[in-house]
Amino acid sequence: MPLLQVANISKSFGGNQAVKSLSFTLETGEILGLIGPNGAGKTTAFNMIAGYFPPDTGEVRFKGENIAGLRAWNISHRKIARTFQLSKPFGDLTVLENVMVGGFHHQESRVAARRKAEEVLAFVGMEGQASVEANNLTVVDRKRLELARCLATDPELLLLDEVVAGATPSEAIAMMEMIRRIRDMGITIIMVEHVMRVVMGLSHRVLVLHHGETIAVGDPQTVSRDPVVLKAYLGARYAHA
Amino acid sequence: MATEPGGRHRVAIASAASAILMLAVPLAVMDEYYLHVLIASLFFAYMASAWNIVCGYTGQLSLGHSALSGIGGYVSTLLLINAGVSPWVGMLIGAVCAMGVGVLVGWPCFRLRGPYFALTTIAFAEILRIWTENTEEIFGIELRGAQGLSVPLKGHAPALFQFDGKVPYYFIILAMLAAVMALAWWMERSRMGFYLKAIRADQDGAEALGVNSTRYLLSAMAVSSFLTALGGSFYAQYFRYINPERNMGLDFSIELALMGIVGGQGTVVGPILGAFLLTPAGEITRATLGGKFPGLHLVIYGLVLILAMLFLPKGLIQPLRRLFGRRSAASGATAQPTQA
Repeated sequence: MPLLQVANISKSFGGNQAVKSLSFTLETGEILGLIGPNGAGKTTAFNMIAGYFPPDTGEVRFKGENIAGLRAWNISHRKIARTFQLSKPFGDLTVLENVMVGGFHHQESRVAARRKAEEVLAFVGMEGQASVEANNLTVVDRKRLELARCLATDPELLLLDEVVAGATPSEAIAMMEMIRRIRDMGITIIMVEHVMRVVMGLSHRVLVLHHGETIAVGDPQTVSRDPVVLKAYLGARYAHA
Repeated sequence: MATEPGGRHRVAIASAASAILMLAVPLAVMDEYYLHVLIASLFFAYMASAWNIVCGYTGQLSLGHSALSGIGGYVSTLLLINAGVSPWVGMLIGAVCAMGVGVLVGWPCFRLRGPYFALTTIAFAEILRIWTENTEEIFGIELRGAQGLSVPLKGHAPALFQFDGKVPYYFIILAMLAAVMALAWWMERSRMGFYLKAIRADQDGAEALGVNSTRYLLSAMAVSSFLTALGGSFYAQYFRYINPERNMGLDFSIELALMGIVGGQGTVVGPILGAFLLTPAGEITRATLGGKFPGLHLVIYGLVLILAMLFLPKGLIQPLRRLFGRRSAASGATAQPTQA
Protein backbone atom coordinates (compact mmCIF):
# COMPACT_ATOMS: atom_id res chain seq x y z
CA MET A 1 0.00 0.00 0.00
CA PRO A 2 1.35 3.46 -0.82
CA LEU A 3 2.06 5.71 2.18
CA LEU A 4 -0.11 8.50 0.80
CA GLN A 5 -2.88 8.36 -1.78
CA VAL A 6 -4.38 11.65 -2.84
CA ALA A 7 -7.50 11.14 -4.93
CA ASN A 8 -9.26 13.95 -6.77
CA ILE A 9 -8.91 16.69 -4.19
CA SER A 10 -10.17 20.11 -5.25
CA LYS A 11 -10.46 23.46 -3.63
CA SER A 12 -11.97 26.69 -4.79
CA PHE A 13 -11.98 30.05 -3.06
CA GLY A 14 -15.02 31.93 -4.27
CA GLY A 15 -14.89 31.65 -8.03
CA ASN A 16 -11.20 30.82 -8.12
CA GLN A 17 -10.49 27.12 -8.60
CA ALA A 18 -7.16 26.88 -6.74
CA VAL A 19 -6.71 23.12 -7.13
CA LYS A 20 -8.61 20.97 -9.61
CA SER A 21 -8.94 17.23 -8.92
CA LEU A 22 -5.36 16.60 -7.88
CA SER A 23 -4.38 12.93 -7.59
CA PHE A 24 -1.07 11.26 -6.83
CA THR A 25 0.40 8.50 -4.76
CA LEU A 26 3.54 8.47 -2.70
CA GLU A 27 5.64 5.48 -1.66
CA THR A 28 7.49 5.28 1.63
CA GLY A 29 10.96 6.77 1.38
CA GLU A 30 10.21 8.82 -1.71
CA ILE A 31 10.81 12.53 -2.26
CA LEU A 32 8.11 14.14 -4.38
CA GLY A 33 8.68 17.64 -5.74
CA LEU A 34 5.64 19.82 -6.22
CA ILE A 35 6.37 22.63 -8.64
CA GLY A 36 4.54 25.16 -10.72
CA PRO A 37 4.45 28.89 -11.38
CA ASN A 38 3.19 31.29 -8.71
CA GLY A 39 -0.48 30.74 -7.98
CA ALA A 40 -0.44 27.22 -9.36
CA GLY A 41 -2.04 25.84 -6.19
CA LYS A 42 0.97 24.20 -4.56
CA THR A 43 0.48 25.64 -1.10
CA THR A 44 -3.27 25.06 -1.33
CA ALA A 45 -2.61 21.39 -2.05
CA PHE A 46 -0.29 21.33 0.96
CA ASN A 47 -2.82 22.95 3.21
CA MET A 48 -5.45 20.40 2.28
CA ILE A 49 -3.14 17.49 3.07
CA ALA A 50 -1.96 19.09 6.33
CA GLY A 51 -5.48 19.89 7.51
CA TYR A 52 -5.41 23.69 7.34
CA PHE A 53 -8.62 23.52 5.41
CA PRO A 54 -10.63 20.57 4.15
CA PRO A 55 -10.74 19.76 0.43
CA ASP A 56 -14.06 20.48 -1.29
CA THR A 57 -13.99 17.03 -2.86
CA GLY A 58 -11.84 13.93 -2.85
CA GLU A 59 -9.87 11.89 -0.36
CA VAL A 60 -6.46 12.00 1.24
CA ARG A 61 -5.52 8.50 2.38
CA PHE A 62 -2.55 8.17 4.71
CA LYS A 63 -1.66 4.54 5.35
CA GLY A 64 -5.12 3.64 4.11
CA GLU A 65 -7.04 6.00 6.40
CA ASN A 66 -8.91 8.95 4.93
CA ILE A 67 -7.57 12.01 6.72
CA ALA A 68 -9.25 14.64 4.54
CA GLY A 69 -11.02 17.18 6.71
CA LEU A 70 -9.18 16.33 9.94
CA ARG A 71 -7.82 19.29 11.90
CA ALA A 72 -4.14 20.17 11.68
CA TRP A 73 -3.24 18.97 15.17
CA ASN A 74 -5.01 15.72 14.53
CA ILE A 75 -3.09 15.18 11.32
CA SER A 76 0.11 15.87 13.21
CA HIS A 77 -0.80 13.01 15.54
CA ARG A 78 -0.94 10.75 12.50
CA LYS A 79 2.77 11.52 12.02
CA ILE A 80 2.54 14.07 9.25
CA ALA A 81 4.55 17.25 9.84
CA ARG A 82 4.75 20.43 7.81
CA THR A 83 6.76 23.60 7.53
CA PHE A 84 5.26 26.92 6.50
CA GLN A 85 6.22 29.03 3.52
CA LEU A 86 6.46 31.97 5.93
CA SER A 87 8.06 30.43 9.00
CA LYS A 88 6.09 30.59 12.19
CA PRO A 89 8.63 30.58 15.00
CA PHE A 90 7.40 30.94 18.58
CA GLY A 91 9.22 34.26 18.73
CA ASP A 92 9.53 34.82 22.47
CA LEU A 93 10.67 31.27 23.18
CA THR A 94 14.25 30.14 22.78
CA VAL A 95 15.30 27.82 19.97
CA LEU A 96 15.45 24.92 22.42
CA GLU A 97 11.98 25.72 23.81
CA ASN A 98 10.59 25.95 20.27
CA VAL A 99 11.81 22.47 19.46
CA MET A 100 10.65 21.15 22.84
CA VAL A 101 7.07 22.04 21.85
CA GLY A 102 7.51 19.45 19.11
CA GLY A 103 9.34 17.16 21.53
CA PHE A 104 6.32 17.01 23.82
CA HIS A 105 4.40 15.37 20.99
CA HIS A 106 4.77 11.82 22.24
CA GLN A 107 5.61 12.38 25.88
CA GLU A 108 4.66 14.53 28.79
CA SER A 109 8.00 14.54 30.56
CA ARG A 110 9.96 17.75 30.23
CA VAL A 111 13.26 15.96 30.58
CA ALA A 112 12.42 13.59 27.72
CA ALA A 113 11.11 16.43 25.54
CA ARG A 114 14.28 18.35 26.20
CA ARG A 115 16.46 15.38 25.35
CA LYS A 116 14.57 14.89 22.10
CA ALA A 117 14.91 18.59 21.26
CA GLU A 118 18.65 18.60 21.92
CA GLU A 119 19.06 15.54 19.73
CA VAL A 120 17.18 17.19 16.85
CA LEU A 121 19.03 20.48 17.26
CA ALA A 122 22.32 18.63 16.96
CA PHE A 123 20.98 16.96 13.80
CA VAL A 124 20.16 20.28 12.13
CA GLY A 125 23.34 21.88 13.45
CA MET A 126 21.67 24.44 15.71
CA GLU A 127 22.87 23.20 19.09
CA GLY A 128 24.99 26.33 19.45
CA GLN A 129 21.90 28.52 19.17
CA ALA A 130 19.78 26.61 21.70
CA SER A 131 19.35 29.54 24.06
CA VAL A 132 18.79 32.20 21.38
CA GLU A 133 15.32 33.73 21.25
CA ALA A 134 13.67 32.63 18.01
CA ASN A 135 12.86 36.26 17.16
CA ASN A 136 16.56 36.92 16.71
CA LEU A 137 17.15 34.25 14.08
CA THR A 138 17.82 34.91 10.39
CA VAL A 139 15.27 33.82 7.78
CA VAL A 140 17.28 30.72 6.94
CA ASP A 141 17.77 29.76 10.58
CA ARG A 142 14.02 30.15 11.13
CA LYS A 143 13.46 27.61 8.37
CA ARG A 144 15.96 25.26 9.97
CA LEU A 145 14.25 25.76 13.32
CA GLU A 146 10.90 24.91 11.80
CA LEU A 147 12.39 21.80 10.29
CA ALA A 148 13.81 20.86 13.69
CA ARG A 149 10.42 21.35 15.35
CA CYS A 150 8.87 19.03 12.75
CA LEU A 151 11.53 16.39 13.26
CA ALA A 152 10.98 16.48 17.01
CA THR A 153 7.46 15.13 16.42
CA ASP A 154 8.95 12.00 14.78
CA PRO A 155 7.05 12.31 11.49
CA GLU A 156 6.72 9.64 8.83
CA LEU A 157 5.71 12.16 6.18
CA LEU A 158 7.22 15.62 6.00
CA LEU A 159 5.73 18.44 3.95
CA LEU A 160 8.32 21.11 3.17
CA ASP A 161 7.04 24.43 1.85
CA GLU A 162 9.90 26.35 0.21
CA VAL A 163 12.61 25.61 2.75
CA VAL A 164 15.43 27.06 0.66
CA ALA A 165 13.65 30.33 -0.24
CA GLY A 166 15.85 33.22 0.78
CA ALA A 167 18.94 31.06 1.25
CA THR A 168 22.32 31.83 -0.31
CA PRO A 169 23.64 29.17 -2.73
CA SER A 170 25.85 27.62 -0.07
CA GLU A 171 23.04 27.61 2.46
CA ALA A 172 20.80 25.99 -0.15
CA ILE A 173 23.39 23.24 -0.67
CA ALA A 174 23.57 22.65 3.08
CA MET A 175 19.77 22.45 3.25
CA MET A 176 19.71 19.96 0.35
CA GLU A 177 22.23 17.86 2.20
CA MET A 178 20.04 17.95 5.28
CA ILE A 179 16.93 16.92 3.32
CA ARG A 180 18.86 13.94 1.98
CA ARG A 181 19.85 12.95 5.50
CA ILE A 182 16.20 13.25 6.59
CA ARG A 183 15.17 10.97 3.73
CA ASP A 184 17.90 8.53 4.77
CA MET A 185 16.22 8.34 8.18
CA GLY A 186 13.26 6.80 6.36
CA ILE A 187 11.08 9.91 6.33
CA THR A 188 9.00 10.41 3.19
CA ILE A 189 8.99 13.97 1.86
CA ILE A 190 6.82 16.18 -0.31
CA MET A 191 8.50 19.47 -1.14
CA VAL A 192 7.17 22.61 -2.73
CA GLU A 193 10.10 24.49 -4.16
CA HIS A 194 10.84 27.24 -6.63
CA VAL A 195 14.56 26.67 -6.87
CA MET A 196 14.75 24.16 -9.73
CA ARG A 197 18.26 23.01 -8.93
CA VAL A 198 17.02 21.88 -5.52
CA VAL A 199 13.86 20.16 -6.75
CA MET A 200 15.56 18.46 -9.66
CA GLY A 201 18.49 17.38 -7.51
CA LEU A 202 16.44 15.84 -4.73
CA SER A 203 13.14 14.59 -6.09
CA HIS A 204 12.52 11.06 -7.26
CA ARG A 205 9.43 12.33 -9.01
CA VAL A 206 8.14 15.77 -9.82
CA LEU A 207 4.52 16.85 -10.12
CA VAL A 208 3.81 20.07 -12.01
CA LEU A 209 0.75 22.16 -11.22
CA HIS A 210 -0.49 24.99 -13.39
CA HIS A 211 -3.66 26.96 -12.64
CA GLY A 212 -4.63 24.21 -10.22
CA GLU A 213 -4.32 21.42 -12.76
CA THR A 214 -1.73 18.68 -12.91
CA ILE A 215 0.08 19.10 -16.21
CA ALA A 216 2.90 16.61 -15.76
CA VAL A 217 4.17 13.91 -13.40
CA GLY A 218 7.37 11.96 -13.77
CA ASP A 219 11.06 11.81 -13.06
CA PRO A 220 12.85 15.16 -13.04
CA GLN A 221 14.61 14.70 -16.41
CA THR A 222 11.45 13.80 -18.31
CA VAL A 223 9.40 16.54 -16.72
CA SER A 224 12.00 19.21 -17.41
CA ARG A 225 11.86 18.39 -21.12
CA ASP A 226 8.07 18.17 -21.30
CA PRO A 227 6.84 20.79 -23.79
CA VAL A 228 3.65 21.44 -21.75
CA VAL A 229 5.75 22.23 -18.69
CA LEU A 230 8.10 24.49 -20.63
CA LYS A 231 5.12 26.29 -22.04
CA ALA A 232 3.61 26.82 -18.59
CA TYR A 233 6.87 28.18 -17.21
CA LEU A 234 8.26 30.09 -20.15
CA GLY A 235 5.32 30.78 -22.49
CA ALA A 236 4.28 29.17 -25.77
CA ARG A 237 7.13 30.64 -27.85
CA TYR A 238 9.81 28.71 -26.00
CA ALA A 239 8.01 25.39 -25.84
CA HIS A 240 9.75 23.94 -28.88
CA ALA A 241 13.08 25.61 -28.38
CA MET B 1 23.74 30.89 29.93
CA ALA B 2 26.81 31.42 32.09
CA THR B 3 24.82 33.42 34.63
CA GLU B 4 22.36 30.62 35.15
CA PRO B 5 23.58 28.80 38.26
CA GLY B 6 24.24 32.14 39.97
CA GLY B 7 20.86 33.38 38.78
CA ARG B 8 19.10 30.34 40.17
CA HIS B 9 20.87 30.82 43.48
CA ARG B 10 19.74 34.42 43.68
CA VAL B 11 16.17 33.49 42.75
CA ALA B 12 16.10 30.91 45.53
CA ILE B 13 17.46 33.37 48.09
CA ALA B 14 15.03 36.07 46.98
CA SER B 15 12.06 33.67 47.19
CA ALA B 16 13.03 32.39 50.63
CA ALA B 17 13.62 35.92 51.93
CA SER B 18 10.28 37.19 50.65
CA ALA B 19 8.48 34.14 52.07
CA ILE B 20 9.95 34.73 55.54
CA LEU B 21 9.22 38.41 55.28
CA MET B 22 5.60 37.79 54.32
CA LEU B 23 5.14 35.32 57.19
CA ALA B 24 6.60 37.79 59.70
CA VAL B 25 4.61 40.80 58.54
CA PRO B 26 1.61 40.43 60.90
CA LEU B 27 4.02 40.50 63.85
CA ALA B 28 5.31 43.88 62.80
CA VAL B 29 2.26 45.53 61.27
CA MET B 30 -0.14 46.26 64.11
CA ASP B 31 -2.11 48.94 62.35
CA GLU B 32 -5.34 47.46 61.02
CA TYR B 33 -5.38 49.78 58.04
CA TYR B 34 -1.94 48.83 56.78
CA LEU B 35 -2.74 45.19 57.33
CA HIS B 36 -5.86 45.72 55.24
CA VAL B 37 -3.80 47.26 52.42
CA LEU B 38 -1.51 44.24 52.57
CA ILE B 39 -4.42 41.83 52.46
CA ALA B 40 -5.90 43.72 49.51
CA SER B 41 -2.53 43.60 47.75
CA LEU B 42 -2.23 39.87 48.33
CA PHE B 43 -5.81 39.40 47.17
CA PHE B 44 -5.18 41.29 43.94
CA ALA B 45 -1.88 39.46 43.46
CA TYR B 46 -3.79 36.21 43.76
CA MET B 47 -6.54 37.31 41.38
CA ALA B 48 -4.12 38.72 38.80
CA SER B 49 -2.18 35.44 38.97
CA ALA B 50 -5.38 33.49 38.33
CA TRP B 51 -6.16 35.79 35.39
CA ASN B 52 -2.60 35.29 34.14
CA ILE B 53 -3.08 31.50 33.86
CA VAL B 54 -5.36 31.94 30.87
CA CYS B 55 -4.56 35.44 29.64
CA GLY B 56 -0.85 35.79 30.31
CA TYR B 57 0.21 32.41 29.06
CA THR B 58 -2.10 32.15 26.04
CA GLY B 59 -2.29 35.79 24.98
CA GLN B 60 -6.09 35.81 25.13
CA LEU B 61 -7.45 38.92 26.83
CA SER B 62 -10.26 38.45 29.32
CA LEU B 63 -11.98 41.58 30.58
CA GLY B 64 -14.71 39.62 32.29
CA HIS B 65 -12.94 37.81 35.09
CA SER B 66 -14.94 39.80 37.62
CA ALA B 67 -17.98 37.74 36.62
CA LEU B 68 -16.16 34.57 37.67
CA SER B 69 -15.16 36.16 40.93
CA GLY B 70 -18.75 37.29 41.45
CA ILE B 71 -20.06 33.79 40.81
CA GLY B 72 -17.69 32.45 43.47
CA GLY B 73 -18.67 35.12 45.98
CA TYR B 74 -22.40 34.86 45.41
CA VAL B 75 -22.53 31.07 45.38
CA SER B 76 -20.61 30.71 48.63
CA THR B 77 -22.54 33.50 50.33
CA LEU B 78 -25.96 32.28 49.16
CA LEU B 79 -25.15 28.75 50.28
CA LEU B 80 -24.21 30.06 53.72
CA ILE B 81 -27.31 32.26 54.05
CA ASN B 82 -29.85 29.83 52.64
CA ALA B 83 -28.49 26.40 53.41
CA GLY B 84 -26.02 27.01 56.19
CA VAL B 85 -23.21 25.53 54.07
CA SER B 86 -19.77 26.59 55.31
CA PRO B 87 -18.03 28.95 52.87
CA TRP B 88 -15.06 26.57 52.96
CA VAL B 89 -17.27 24.12 51.07
CA GLY B 90 -19.29 26.80 49.30
CA MET B 91 -16.18 28.32 47.76
CA LEU B 92 -15.38 25.00 46.08
CA ILE B 93 -18.94 24.68 44.78
CA GLY B 94 -18.78 28.26 43.50
CA ALA B 95 -15.44 27.52 41.86
CA VAL B 96 -16.87 24.52 40.05
CA CYS B 97 -19.83 26.63 38.84
CA ALA B 98 -17.45 29.35 37.61
CA MET B 99 -15.35 26.74 35.87
CA GLY B 100 -18.41 25.53 33.97
CA VAL B 101 -19.36 29.08 33.04
CA GLY B 102 -15.80 29.94 31.97
CA VAL B 103 -15.62 26.93 29.70
CA LEU B 104 -19.04 27.73 28.18
CA VAL B 105 -17.94 31.30 27.42
CA GLY B 106 -14.58 30.19 26.06
CA TRP B 107 -15.92 27.34 23.95
CA PRO B 108 -17.26 29.30 20.97
CA CYS B 109 -14.59 32.02 21.19
CA PHE B 110 -11.50 29.84 21.18
CA ARG B 111 -12.51 28.42 17.81
CA LEU B 112 -12.18 31.89 16.34
CA ARG B 113 -9.12 34.06 15.92
CA GLY B 114 -9.31 37.71 16.79
CA PRO B 115 -10.79 39.85 19.54
CA TYR B 116 -13.91 37.74 20.02
CA PHE B 117 -12.89 36.34 23.36
CA ALA B 118 -12.18 39.78 24.82
CA LEU B 119 -15.49 41.15 23.53
CA THR B 120 -17.47 38.16 24.71
CA THR B 121 -15.99 38.25 28.21
CA ILE B 122 -16.89 41.94 28.58
CA ALA B 123 -20.41 41.35 27.30
CA PHE B 124 -20.94 38.30 29.47
CA ALA B 125 -19.69 39.96 32.65
CA GLU B 126 -21.74 43.09 32.08
CA ILE B 127 -24.90 41.12 31.35
CA LEU B 128 -24.40 39.12 34.54
CA ARG B 129 -23.77 42.27 36.58
CA ILE B 130 -26.82 44.08 35.22
CA TRP B 131 -28.99 41.03 35.70
CA THR B 132 -27.83 40.61 39.30
CA GLU B 133 -28.32 44.31 40.04
CA ASN B 134 -31.91 44.09 38.88
CA THR B 135 -32.90 40.78 40.39
CA GLU B 136 -34.32 40.86 43.89
CA GLU B 137 -35.16 37.22 44.04
CA ILE B 138 -34.94 34.12 41.87
CA PHE B 139 -36.46 30.68 42.57
CA GLY B 140 -37.22 31.92 46.06
CA ILE B 141 -33.56 32.80 46.71
CA GLU B 142 -33.01 36.40 47.73
CA LEU B 143 -30.33 38.14 45.65
CA ARG B 144 -31.26 41.64 46.83
CA GLY B 145 -30.23 43.25 43.54
CA ALA B 146 -27.92 46.25 43.67
CA GLN B 147 -28.08 46.33 47.48
CA GLY B 148 -25.93 43.25 47.65
CA LEU B 149 -25.73 40.56 50.29
CA SER B 150 -24.32 40.72 53.78
CA VAL B 151 -22.66 37.65 55.19
CA PRO B 152 -24.42 36.84 58.49
CA LEU B 153 -22.06 37.36 61.40
CA LYS B 154 -21.28 34.26 63.42
CA GLY B 155 -18.57 35.67 65.67
CA HIS B 156 -15.27 33.82 65.80
CA ALA B 157 -16.18 30.75 63.75
CA PRO B 158 -13.20 29.34 61.81
CA ALA B 159 -15.34 26.52 60.43
CA LEU B 160 -17.54 29.15 58.79
CA PHE B 161 -14.62 31.23 57.46
CA GLN B 162 -15.11 33.93 60.11
CA PHE B 163 -12.34 35.12 62.37
CA ASP B 164 -11.61 37.84 64.89
CA GLY B 165 -9.29 40.40 63.43
CA LYS B 166 -7.55 40.47 60.10
CA VAL B 167 -4.50 38.31 60.74
CA PRO B 168 -6.14 34.94 59.89
CA TYR B 169 -7.40 36.39 56.61
CA TYR B 170 -3.89 37.57 55.90
CA PHE B 171 -2.53 34.05 56.24
CA ILE B 172 -5.37 32.52 54.22
CA ILE B 173 -4.83 34.78 51.23
CA LEU B 174 -1.06 34.42 51.58
CA ALA B 175 -1.45 30.64 51.38
CA MET B 176 -3.79 30.97 48.40
CA LEU B 177 -1.27 33.18 46.63
CA ALA B 178 1.56 30.74 47.38
CA ALA B 179 -0.56 27.92 45.97
CA VAL B 180 -1.41 29.74 42.76
CA MET B 181 2.25 30.72 42.30
CA ALA B 182 3.33 27.12 42.78
CA LEU B 183 0.72 26.03 40.26
CA ALA B 184 1.85 28.61 37.69
CA TRP B 185 5.48 27.68 38.27
CA TRP B 186 4.74 24.02 37.76
CA MET B 187 2.53 24.68 34.74
CA GLU B 188 5.14 26.85 33.08
CA ARG B 189 7.49 23.89 33.05
CA SER B 190 4.95 21.30 32.00
CA ARG B 191 3.80 20.31 28.57
CA MET B 192 0.70 22.42 29.07
CA GLY B 193 2.79 25.54 29.72
CA PHE B 194 4.89 24.99 26.62
CA TYR B 195 1.77 24.43 24.55
CA LEU B 196 0.05 27.54 25.88
CA LYS B 197 3.08 29.68 25.10
CA ALA B 198 3.30 28.14 21.64
CA ILE B 199 -0.38 28.98 21.03
CA ARG B 200 0.26 32.53 22.21
CA ALA B 201 3.18 32.94 19.82
CA ASP B 202 1.59 31.31 16.78
CA GLN B 203 -1.56 29.24 16.87
CA ASP B 204 -1.13 27.73 13.39
CA GLY B 205 2.45 26.83 14.16
CA ALA B 206 1.40 25.18 17.41
CA GLU B 207 -1.37 23.18 15.75
CA ALA B 208 1.07 21.92 13.12
CA LEU B 209 3.01 20.35 16.02
CA GLY B 210 -0.05 18.48 17.26
CA VAL B 211 -1.34 21.01 19.77
CA ASN B 212 -5.12 20.88 20.03
CA SER B 213 -5.33 24.60 20.72
CA THR B 214 -9.03 24.71 21.60
CA ARG B 215 -8.56 22.02 24.21
CA TYR B 216 -5.55 23.67 25.82
CA LEU B 217 -7.16 27.12 25.82
CA LEU B 218 -10.26 25.68 27.46
CA SER B 219 -8.19 23.84 30.07
CA ALA B 220 -6.39 27.06 30.95
CA MET B 221 -9.71 28.90 31.10
CA ALA B 222 -11.16 26.22 33.37
CA VAL B 223 -8.24 26.42 35.81
CA SER B 224 -8.25 30.20 35.76
CA SER B 225 -12.03 30.38 36.31
CA PHE B 226 -11.84 27.97 39.23
CA LEU B 227 -9.08 29.95 40.94
CA THR B 228 -10.74 33.30 40.27
CA ALA B 229 -13.98 32.13 41.89
CA LEU B 230 -12.08 30.90 44.97
CA GLY B 231 -10.67 34.41 45.25
CA GLY B 232 -14.15 35.87 44.84
CA SER B 233 -15.36 33.78 47.78
CA PHE B 234 -12.45 34.92 49.91
CA TYR B 235 -13.32 38.52 49.10
CA ALA B 236 -16.95 38.07 50.08
CA GLN B 237 -16.04 36.39 53.38
CA TYR B 238 -13.33 38.90 54.20
CA PHE B 239 -15.51 41.97 53.62
CA ARG B 240 -18.63 40.10 54.78
CA TYR B 241 -20.47 41.93 52.07
CA ILE B 242 -20.86 41.44 48.35
CA ASN B 243 -22.59 43.47 45.66
CA PRO B 244 -22.71 43.31 41.86
CA GLU B 245 -20.93 46.62 41.29
CA ARG B 246 -17.84 45.79 43.34
CA ASN B 247 -17.65 42.06 42.71
CA MET B 248 -18.75 41.74 39.09
CA GLY B 249 -18.05 45.19 37.66
CA LEU B 250 -15.93 45.98 34.67
CA ASP B 251 -13.58 48.11 36.81
CA PHE B 252 -12.55 45.05 38.74
CA SER B 253 -11.86 43.06 35.56
CA ILE B 254 -9.80 45.89 34.14
CA GLU B 255 -7.81 46.19 37.36
CA LEU B 256 -6.87 42.50 37.21
CA ALA B 257 -5.85 42.73 33.56
CA LEU B 258 -3.87 45.89 34.23
CA MET B 259 -1.94 44.33 37.09
CA GLY B 260 -1.07 41.34 34.95
CA ILE B 261 0.01 43.47 32.01
CA VAL B 262 1.96 46.07 34.01
CA GLY B 263 3.70 43.41 36.08
CA GLY B 264 4.52 41.05 33.24
CA GLN B 265 2.15 38.64 31.52
CA GLY B 266 2.93 34.98 31.27
CA THR B 267 5.36 34.95 34.19
CA VAL B 268 4.92 33.66 37.73
CA VAL B 269 6.03 36.83 39.50
CA GLY B 270 4.79 39.50 37.06
CA PRO B 271 1.15 39.74 38.22
CA ILE B 272 2.32 39.92 41.84
CA LEU B 273 4.60 42.85 41.08
CA GLY B 274 1.74 44.58 39.28
CA ALA B 275 -0.65 44.00 42.18
CA PHE B 276 1.83 45.20 44.80
CA LEU B 277 2.46 48.38 42.82
CA LEU B 278 -1.10 49.24 41.84
CA THR B 279 -3.13 48.14 44.88
CA PRO B 280 -1.33 50.29 47.48
CA ALA B 281 -1.16 53.17 45.01
CA GLY B 282 -4.91 52.91 44.49
CA GLU B 283 -5.69 52.46 48.21
CA ILE B 284 -3.51 55.32 49.35
CA THR B 285 -4.82 57.80 46.79
CA ARG B 286 -8.38 56.77 47.58
CA ALA B 287 -7.81 57.17 51.29
CA THR B 288 -5.90 60.45 51.20
CA LEU B 289 -7.31 62.24 48.16
CA GLY B 290 -10.46 60.25 47.46
CA GLY B 291 -12.75 62.92 48.88
CA LYS B 292 -11.24 65.72 46.82
CA PHE B 293 -10.54 63.89 43.59
CA PRO B 294 -12.81 60.90 43.18
CA GLY B 295 -11.50 58.46 40.58
CA LEU B 296 -7.93 59.71 40.90
CA HIS B 297 -6.69 56.15 41.36
CA LEU B 298 -8.00 55.37 37.88
CA VAL B 299 -5.97 58.25 36.47
CA ILE B 300 -2.92 56.84 38.23
CA TYR B 301 -3.62 53.37 36.79
CA GLY B 302 -3.81 54.92 33.33
CA LEU B 303 -0.52 56.75 33.80
CA VAL B 304 1.22 53.65 35.11
CA LEU B 305 -0.07 51.67 32.13
CA ILE B 306 1.20 54.26 29.65
CA LEU B 307 4.60 54.41 31.33
CA ALA B 308 4.83 50.64 31.47
CA MET B 309 4.00 50.28 27.79
CA LEU B 310 6.53 52.93 26.84
CA PHE B 311 9.45 51.80 28.94
CA LEU B 312 8.79 48.22 30.02
CA PRO B 313 6.54 46.60 27.40
CA LYS B 314 7.16 43.18 28.92
CA GLY B 315 6.27 44.45 32.38
CA LEU B 316 8.04 45.27 35.62
CA ILE B 317 9.45 41.78 35.54
CA GLN B 318 11.79 42.83 32.71
CA PRO B 319 14.50 44.62 34.77
CA LEU B 320 14.25 41.94 37.46
CA ARG B 321 14.89 39.22 34.92
CA ARG B 322 18.03 40.98 33.84
CA LEU B 323 19.09 41.15 37.46
CA PHE B 324 18.53 37.46 38.07
CA GLY B 325 19.60 36.30 34.62
CA ARG B 326 16.91 35.09 32.23
CA ARG B 327 15.88 31.62 33.22
CA SER B 328 14.26 29.68 30.49
CA ALA B 329 11.49 27.25 31.34
CA ALA B 330 13.45 24.64 29.42
CA SER B 331 16.05 24.42 32.14
CA GLY B 332 14.49 23.27 35.34
CA ALA B 333 16.15 22.90 38.70
CA THR B 334 17.26 19.39 37.81
CA ALA B 335 18.62 20.13 34.35
CA GLN B 336 22.22 21.02 33.75
CA PRO B 337 22.95 24.41 32.21
CA THR B 338 23.84 24.01 28.55
CA GLN B 339 27.36 24.75 27.53
CA ALA B 340 27.02 26.65 24.30
